[in-house]
Amino acid sequence: MSLLKLNQFTLGEYLAAPFIGLKNYSELLFNENNPVRQGLGYALRNTAIYTVVVTTAVMAIGLFVAILLNRDFPGRGFARAAMLLPWVVPSYVVGILWGFMWQKEGIINHILVDVLHLLDEKPYWLIGPNTIWAIIIPTVWRSWPFIMIVFLSGLQTIPDDLYEASTIDGAGKVRQFWNITLPLLKPIIAVQILFQLIANVYSYNIVAMMFGNGAGYPGQWGDLLMTALQRQTFGYWSFGAGAAASFLLMIGMLIIVGIWYRIFRSELRAE
Amino acid sequence: MSYRMGARMKKKASYYVLNTITWFIVAIMIFPIYWMVKISLHTNGEILDGITGFTIPKPHWVNYIDMWDNINFSDFFLNSLIICTLTMILACAFAVMAGYALARFKFPGSGTFGMGVIATQMIPGIMFLLPIYLMFLSIKDTIGLPMIDTYWGMVLVYTAFYTPMSIWIMRSFFVAIPRDLEESAMIDGCTKFQAFVRVILPLSVPGIIATCVYIFLTAWDELLFAWVLTTTPDVQTIPVGIRLFVGQYNNRYDLLMSAATVVTIPIIVTFFLSQKYFIRGMTAGAVKG
Repeated sequence: MSLLKLNQFTLGEYLAAPFIGLKNYSELLFNENNPVRQGLGYALRNTAIYTVVVTTAVMAIGLFVAILLNRDFPGRGFARAAMLLPWVVPSYVVGILWGFMWQKEGIINHILVDVLHLLDEKPYWLIGPNTIWAIIIPTVWRSWPFIMIVFLSGLQTIPDDLYEASTIDGAGKVRQFWNITLPLLKPIIAVQILFQLIANVYSYNIVAMMFGNGAGYPGQWGDLLMTALQRQTFGYWSFGAGAAASFLLMIGMLIIVGIWYRIFRSELRAE
Repeated sequence: MSYRMGARMKKKASYYVLNTITWFIVAIMIFPIYWMVKISLHTNGEILDGITGFTIPKPHWVNYIDMWDNINFSDFFLNSLIICTLTMILACAFAVMAGYALARFKFPGSGTFGMGVIATQMIPGIMFLLPIYLMFLSIKDTIGLPMIDTYWGMVLVYTAFYTPMSIWIMRSFFVAIPRDLEESAMIDGCTKFQAFVRVILPLSVPGIIATCVYIFLTAWDELLFAWVLTTTPDVQTIPVGIRLFVGQYNNRYDLLMSAATVVTIPIIVTFFLSQKYFIRGMTAGAVKG
């Protein structure tokens, strides 16, 4: 499809649309006036920041809370279930809900400024560079509980003997974490990082719902690849170019997965 | 002696500190959901004036009735329910069979098949979106079967999407079941298929429930494809309905939040009913890879 001249004039011919070889790709890469290209640079930068920050934060928080919950204390089951709640909230609801909470006179600014006095004046979250945080934080909020549950079940498979033996050898909690917990969880971490990378690069719902009904432009700091591509290809009916862009994106994803595989190869094989 | 006392005190202190952190995190996690429910119980005037209190002074239940009347919510709800349930049944049936085959049999290309199933997850959804859209159009043109704006069109797309992940979840479940069980069943005179149906299937009910819940939750959450492939309220699902609603009533956050609450509550209930199986199923898949 990415090799066809497919737009509103040729759509009726489906795959019989004129064959134009790699023109869609060259247009996309080198023609600055191509409609599909508009805003794609920003979207690419935002997606990169978004993916890296979300994946890192989700992993760190997930592991930290899993260790917190892997102790005995009253109400443990309730705490675990309550933390999982955001994960079942549909992502479009997350978009609407946080979009509402981020408003200038919304609850988050109220807490930050009037209750905690962390900031002097209420910032705009949905306009300007802050937007990227407005999409990162809800995503982290919704994603880490699941990672936490996976880590928790991983932690429970680690035999207690290992910790006891190392305590006798005089290892502290911190060293136990680096030398026992982390290495044993590595296969799980590897798989979860991959799932997170894929999910975040292709993230769509939260941004789409937070900024109006599809027509809304999330701004230079809120746009992601998926929302940008959907808006530009369906907005301008330039399906051929859109397919070319998606294909390039998939190549990029394959490269990322390749790098991931190189890094975690030994862990995956050890399973 | 004093050293040991100190150590015990320190241990106790860290216990309480960690507990406090835990409950603080719980509070942060629940707060937005509480806020959603709270906003849905305020009048629009109160919301526009800006809400600062943390309690619900006077629940305004009428919002729910208004919302239900305003956006034909029952239609969307029913559509979502039909599409998601059918998808769940179909995809789960495929996943059970394929997962079992992957877990037990070595057939030519079984390794490639297994990797291929996972590889499909790396292709961006939007890449399918255009071809599927065009394919649906051309199916209608060539054999006259409408695909866009139909239940079966959506079910077909969703089934195709959620089967791969489900196969992997089911596979890891079957791998965990010892082979001896089938072998002894076969010694007792069962065929391979009978052994599968009578011995293995009953054992994997938790896995099947987990897979079903996974499929249902993901389908319930899907927006992009539903947005493009459905255009009439007869088949549109809840996410699409809510998105349309946002466009029409941009400032009616009272109605919006009550709709959001109504969408979220059934899932939360389903989730907690199946939580035990679900967590076990999902984590088994994730831990064993």
